[in-house]
Amino acid sequence: MFRYVLLEIRRTLRDGAFLIFGTGMPVMMYLIFTNIGGEDVDGWKTASMVGMAAYGALGSAMSIGTGVASDKSLGWLQQLRVTPLAPTHAVVGRAISGSVTVLPTILTVLLAGGLVNGVRMAVWQWAALILLLWIGALPFTMLGLGNGYRLTPQGTGVVNIACLTGFAVVGGLWFPLELLPEWLRSVGRFTPANRFADLGWAVTDGHSPGVTTVGVLCGWLLLFGTYAVISYRRSARTV
Amino acid sequence: MRLCRGGSGLRSVVCMTQTTGNGAAVVFTGAVKTFGRAGQRVRAVDGIGLTVERGETVALLGRNGAGKSTAISLLLGLNEPDAGTVRVLGRTPDQAVRAGLVGAMLQEGQPIPRVTVQELIAFVASTYPRPMPVAGALDLAGVTEYANRRIDKLSGGQLQRVRFAVALAGNPELIVLDEPTAALDVEARHTFWDSMRAYARRGNTVIFSTHYLEEADENADRIVVVDRGRIVADGSGEAIKTAAGHSQVSFDLAGRSTEGLELLPGVVTFEVTGDRAVLHTEDSDATVVELARLNAIRGLQVSQASLEAAFLTLTAPAAGASRPEKEAV
Repeated sequence: MFRYVLLEIRRTLRDGAFLIFGTGMPVMMYLIFTNIGGEDVDGWKTASMVGMAAYGALGSAMSIGTGVASDKSLGWLQQLRVTPLAPTHAVVGRAISGSVTVLPTILTVLLAGGLVNGVRMAVWQWAALILLLWIGALPFTMLGLGNGYRLTPQGTGVVNIACLTGFAVVGGLWFPLELLPEWLRSVGRFTPANRFADLGWAVTDGHSPGVTTVGVLCGWLLLFGTYAVISYRRSARTV
Repeated sequence: MRLCRGGSGLRSVVCMTQTTGNGAAVVFTGAVKTFGRAGQRVRAVDGIGLTVERGETVALLGRNGAGKSTAISLLLGLNEPDAGTVRVLGRTPDQAVRAGLVGAMLQEGQPIPRVTVQELIAFVASTYPRPMPVAGALDLAGVTEYANRRIDKLSGGQLQRVRFAVALAGNPELIVLDEPTAALDVEARHTFWDSMRAYARRGNTVIFSTHYLEEADENADRIVVVDRGRIVADGSGEAIKTAAGHSQVSFDLAGRSTEGLELLPGVVTFEVTGDRAVLHTEDSDATVVELARLNAIRGLQVSQASLEAAFLTLTAPAAGASRPEKEAV
């Protein structure tokens, strides 16, 4: 599996356009959003930094699926499927190699926050934030992969955006959960994007994420991971 | 186990009987694979029974859409049969692939972007338990020259050889090649088959599909003719020719009467053009000996049936068969 991770990382790093677009967009959005209004109200630059880093991480995590979908259309997945590489290893390996695009996205937004917008936090908070956002994006990587193994490149793009938007709304990333109806609010707290963002909010509030948050995210990871493995196994079918 | 099912007359002549042992490389038993939605279903593989022994080189010969690629997808575990079973080296196809016993060169497949030949082969080799040295695989497939080039920058012929290297890299016991020479020119084809035979000589089993008759005849120990998802003939190239086509014996009549020609040993039919008689015979040797005895040997010529003719005879649309013709991929 290690060799597979290496191979896919090499392939990703050679795709300059993908890297620049993937990591460049969130940081640009962050800088624009936090510098249009002028004043820093209620730690908006910090909150927005976490939000944008999280959003960027989700976006790049899921976009790995688009790459996988085009690999499938090239026949690469089929070729991979007739090597002894086990489906679980193929999926986990692809998720790990995909993380190399997630990390720079998080880093550039946080760098912009610290260097350009003067956000100040303790060193452990920076470190924890990077690590948690990086690892916490894994369920979304799995979801993106599952879609990519199953759908065409175009289909994957559309479904990914639908998933991302849906999770962002229901999870309270775009506006607070309090604005949603009661029943949706209680559901919202168990959605992956909400718990994912909670990782970041916990860190900026200065405490470690709750056990439920970690537990719920692990549950989603398992669910989406299974979806990805099943989709991978089906992906090589010729009809 | 009987290798061919159904059919009548010619169609079943070349079927062979073999025993199914655990030692067999590949065993198809009544395998069926149907595609498409209700109302337009196509039986791409329609009850294939086939045993390939270890060390054999077998060609699956058939037209486009005959079901070769589908049979191969079943063999590799990419698709699962709707009915029947497929066993590879005593396991399910999936298990055999996972155990590193199988290497495959797939028909579809564009270059994987942003990887060099060397990187790809090294990776594929690393997934197998007992791979051949990477340099060895590159060499055997004849791609050493451009090992450091990116695969998406190669020509069609070069790419085809890289895919052969992918199939070889793990040093598998069974190698499966789906239309391996499709993109190759004559010379590259020659080189390819040399490499393939070198690999087969190491005691490995090779199964390849092709729609080139000569390729099957020259490179396989055994030809399995597939048509409309069924096996219509199975045997050596020679056996198939003999079974499906008649040899022709022709000679100058030199005024001789044509009476009784159809009674000569082996002769099935005959025709006369001008002063020359053409006998279609099942046993050209016996026919010639008899003609010699009759001293009717002026301008005597014997021509063997071509594999081409045999193939056409075997795969000619059977009466009443009106299944939808569809490309089965």
